[in-house]
Amino acid sequence: MSSDPYGDRGNTDRSIANPHGAGTLRPSPGTGQAMDTASAFLIGDCMTGGYGKGPDILHDCTIAVDKGEIAVIVGPNGAGKSTAMKAVFGMLDVRQGSVRLDGEEITGLSPQDRVVKGMGFVPQTNNIFTSMTVEENLEMGAFIRTDDFSDTMSQIYDLFPILKEKRSQAAGELSGGQRQQVAVGRALMTRPKVLMLDEPTAGVSPIVMDELFDRIIEVARTGIPILMVEQNARQALEIADKGYVLVQGANAYSGTGKDLLADPDVRKSFLGG
Amino acid sequence: MDFLNAIVALANYVLIPAMSYGSQLALGALGVTLIYGILRFSNFAHGDTMAFGAMVTILVTWWMQSIGISLGPLPTALLALPFGILGCALLVLATDKMVYQFYREQKAKPVILVIVSMGVMFIMNGLVRFIIGPDDQNFSDGARFIISARDFKQMTGLDEGLAIKTSQGITVITAIVVVALLFWFLSRTRTGKSMRAYSDNEDLALLSGINPERVVMYTWFIVAALATVAGVLYGLDKSFKPFTYFQLLLPIFASAIVGGLGSPLGAIAGGFIIAFSEVTITYAWKKILIYLMPESLEPSGLVQLLSTDYKFAVSFVILLIVLLFRPTGIFRGKAL
Repeated sequence: MSSDPYGDRGNTDRSIANPHGAGTLRPSPGTGQAMDTASAFLIGDCMTGGYGKGPDILHDCTIAVDKGEIAVIVGPNGAGKSTAMKAVFGMLDVRQGSVRLDGEEITGLSPQDRVVKGMGFVPQTNNIFTSMTVEENLEMGAFIRTDDFSDTMSQIYDLFPILKEKRSQAAGELSGGQRQQVAVGRALMTRPKVLMLDEPTAGVSPIVMDELFDRIIEVARTGIPILMVEQNARQALEIADKGYVLVQGANAYSGTGKDLLADPDVRKSFLGG
Repeated sequence: MDFLNAIVALANYVLIPAMSYGSQLALGALGVTLIYGILRFSNFAHGDTMAFGAMVTILVTWWMQSIGISLGPLPTALLALPFGILGCALLVLATDKMVYQFYREQKAKPVILVIVSMGVMFIMNGLVRFIIGPDDQNFSDGARFIISARDFKQMTGLDEGLAIKTSQGITVITAIVVVALLFWFLSRTRTGKSMRAYSDNEDLALLSGINPERVVMYTWFIVAALATVAGVLYGLDKSFKPFTYFQLLLPIFASAIVGGLGSPLGAIAGGFIIAFSEVTITYAWKKILIYLMPESLEPSGLVQLLSTDYKFAVSFVILLIVLLFRPTGIFRGKAL
């Protein structure tokens, strides 16, 4: 109690201070940032958790994406960006919090069940079947569909014309950028309600990166909400409707992409001034 | 004339036996390579799986023979084959449920599964010998030859005869049909593609909604079919003795590794490479050389590079050479 500057300093003299009936409640100041999470299409709400029996990596981390939006998770190395994404997709032991898709609680579902529920996920690495042709990769993406998926496939070929050209080539023989297109195409084959991309531009050249971002915007324009983890914070925030800056597994800043780009703190700490 | 005789002798003693032995090895190696590609371990119990499938087929064949069912000139065993496949499939699926599934759930490393498969091998080995006994069993019936040596001599007037056993003809034809079916299945059907996808990238297959347990189940079924077919063909061609099947493990593994583990095409190529080397090295070439060489140069010995007792050494040496100089095998295996 001695550390409390406004404490009673050990005074028990009731003749000068009357403690009887004094109020103890304090009003909360709130977070100061508006976050409309009730209506979010996909939300990982207050997630705390880590891998297996290991220590917690995420601490009360909240990630949400709304219909028709691109949400981007950025942050320094080791901030838990990919981990947060994995937590939303059910590949992390979430010990607290909940994940909801379209208002439905999915925290207990396995990743494959989440795919069935309409989540598309593109892992950062090993995200294509290298020994299979481009077309077979897309077919495997549509494995859970029992209806005719040739429409979806032609839509994907329209979206990524290079894939149509290379359809019968083994996907492992393609360049880095083309592989990422195969990976995104594979995830789109299920006609997901939300698409999650884990660092789609990792390891590709700047030119290819710009092209990939253009393609991602095009995908978003077809009405699929996109949740994306990105290393290239500035470019990602430029196309983002919503941005989350994570630091040490917790939300540090969040807001629209523009706000974050304009925020002096964010600029100073993550965007290099 | 001497030259023709030499060719006929070569075909009779080397090419045709090696061809059918190669087909049997190829079918066996295909099973090993499928397990390696999809379940990711070398299945030491494969030889005994073959023995079990062959044993069920033999029991059903005997039953069919006893009630008078036959296929005319073809061996009755062909009719019993589907039952053998079914019996073998039940055994491997039960083994998977009771043994391998547990280790998959623990995400055990493949090397653990290799040791586990050795345990399974001993159990299956005992099971087969317990049921049918350790002795030689004869179950082939029908016509023995497609062309017998005497008929061939009469037809062509050559000194050398060419005999093609029914079992050899059936072996090669069955092997071609089975391999064609397998490749069609793996490259054209949805299930086959899902198996290749699972072999290529297990995590991504899971994310694509491919059910791993389903893939594993199909794999075991196909492996049981391949093992039974290979086992029955080997039994028809030579004879059925549980211990020989256990010994077959070495040439089969050599075939799969030489071709490139995980590559079905490699398994077939490897099977024929091992079979042809084994037969050519253990064959006594005197007869053929006598036809081809001038009388003054005729060999006095048998010109047999290695006694047939040492035929397994051939597989070993080829295996060593491949592992030293091209460890991934001819077809650069790993994924289906």
